[in-house]
Amino acid sequence: MTAPLLSARRLSFGYGERDVLRDVDLDLSPGQVTILLGPNGSGKSTMIKVLSGVLSPRSGEVMLQGRPPRSFDRREMARLLSVVGQDPPVDFPMTVEAYVALGRFPHQGFFGGTSAADREEVEGALATTGLAPLRDRALSAISAGERQRATVARAIAQGALVMLLDEPTAFLDIRHRVAFYEIVTRLAGVRGVAALVASHDLSLCAEYGERIVLLSGGTVSSQGRPEEVLTPENVRAAYGVAVACDRNPATGAVRVTPLRGAPPGTSYPRS
Amino acid sequence: MAGEPPGIARPGSRGLAVTRHTGGNGSGAAFLALSGTLLAAVALSISTGSVTIPLRKIADALLHGGDDTPARILLSLRLPRALLGVLVGGALASSGVAFQALLRNPLADPYILGVSGGAAVGALTVALFLAAGASPALPLFAFIGAALAALSVFLLARRKSGVSPERLILMGVVVGAFLNAVIMLMVTLSPPGKIPGALYWLMGDLGLGTPRRVGVLLPYVALGVAVLFLLSRGMDLLLLGDHAAFQTGLSVERVKTATYLTASLLAGSVVAVSGLIGFVGLIVPHGARALVGSGHRRLLPAAFLLGGAFLVISDTIARSASPAGELPVGAVTALAGAPFFLYLLRRNGGRS
Repeated sequence: MTAPLLSARRLSFGYGERDVLRDVDLDLSPGQVTILLGPNGSGKSTMIKVLSGVLSPRSGEVMLQGRPPRSFDRREMARLLSVVGQDPPVDFPMTVEAYVALGRFPHQGFFGGTSAADREEVEGALATTGLAPLRDRALSAISAGERQRATVARAIAQGALVMLLDEPTAFLDIRHRVAFYEIVTRLAGVRGVAALVASHDLSLCAEYGERIVLLSGGTVSSQGRPEEVLTPENVRAAYGVAVACDRNPATGAVRVTPLRGAPPGTSYPRS
Repeated sequence: MAGEPPGIARPGSRGLAVTRHTGGNGSGAAFLALSGTLLAAVALSISTGSVTIPLRKIADALLHGGDDTPARILLSLRLPRALLGVLVGGALASSGVAFQALLRNPLADPYILGVSGGAAVGALTVALFLAAGASPALPLFAFIGAALAALSVFLLARRKSGVSPERLILMGVVVGAFLNAVIMLMVTLSPPGKIPGALYWLMGDLGLGTPRRVGVLLPYVALGVAVLFLLSRGMDLLLLGDHAAFQTGLSVERVKTATYLTASLLAGSVVAVSGLIGFVGLIVPHGARALVGSGHRRLLPAAFLLGGAFLVISDTIARSASPAGELPVGAVTALAGAPFFLYLLRRNGGRS
């Protein structure tokens, strides 16, 4: 087993009195796609912010290639780790291509221009995400799903070995969801990328994730292979819904099907 | 295994690597057109006035000098005034571009944000109450006033959830109204002989003592514009938002501080020499973006050229609109700018 590219040990974070993450352990290894599951408010986005250095942990440590994030120069770190999170800007008339090209910033001098290698990486990222035909369109003039693919393209152009993706498929239809997971799986296979994908999509995660981390109330409630994590007990404990888990006859992967019935904390509309 | 949807290429097998120099030719033509517009604006401005000077005479006076009246009007009055217009318009437009990137807000402008008002208070403090003839220090005090006003607007508008464009504009209006009251108070309390000049200056004018003012303003504008140009890649990334810019490798706090100080310096020094001229920093960046896009390396020079042309033309209109006398140029830019601001506000509000 190769050394993890990114690891977190006993990571805790909170806003004021409120704990958001408690004693989280995580390893991201080269060539592996890890899926981060958890209900709304379980701390997935916070975790990605702490891992990428936007937020400082209250306690515990993050190691990126064996070094703490604070010891890296900003560009040096961005060459190692990229994040898909914030939506692209729509208040300014920026083209898809110009937006994706911003991902090359950590490889360029602060004042320097664009090299042939930069252009090639941008072309590759546009082709990979199927955005090449939309390259000259303004970000405000394309659909939410296309914008989401553009954020993925920008992270691909950044060329980092660790990729953290915060719900990158929320606005995508099934075709582009599948395409997204294909892209991430291939980035892991071809480039050796270590990917962490925060998601709500239990079935596709089981299909594509080699490893699943289930976050609940700020702690890791279980982690491991999909069939180890995605059990009716674990899902019920984390999400509060009853599910049936079986194997998909076509692929052999775990299949999670929600069962009817109001989850606790909700009530039926009165007649 | 799951199949691969059509139309999605695999990473690593990257289709046709087409080499494209994005925007190269298009923006070359845009810059040619912008430079031509600026030159035409200056030519129009220096030939227009109580004495109309034909272009042939202008060329002659510029090349060989001259001692006759038209040549003197041209060289000592109209040309410096046009140059001042280019500097002031270019600096205001550059400052607007920088504030818009800094705040990720296309409605930002030094005048609307109350920054110009802060600069005016700073400049008035020197002009009315401190040593007379300390004019080289004026831009510096105006800069301090501008920076303090900008800082208070940011801090007042900030919420835990971030800064909404509308809230920022609202705070700018509040701070601006307060500063206007301070300005009026200062003018009222100042020595009576200084009041008319101060009032005229406040409305924004390019008319008086121009050659000296060009000299005072030039180093500040050159410095400010050069620093902003060096920050242009950083400003590109600021448009992504703080977190995404940080994760893409930008030292966000450092770039934001440098951008904020430089934009305040430009706005402050302009106010110090030519008073309150509004809306240039709002209208011009939008026009420039339509021509060359949002990349700041092209946007900044384009906005400077367009801002210079816009203000020189506005000043020409201000000088020739009424036979009785001159309008303050700030009135002309506001006549064009206020409706444009409303249009942007409606368009912006419609989307969010």
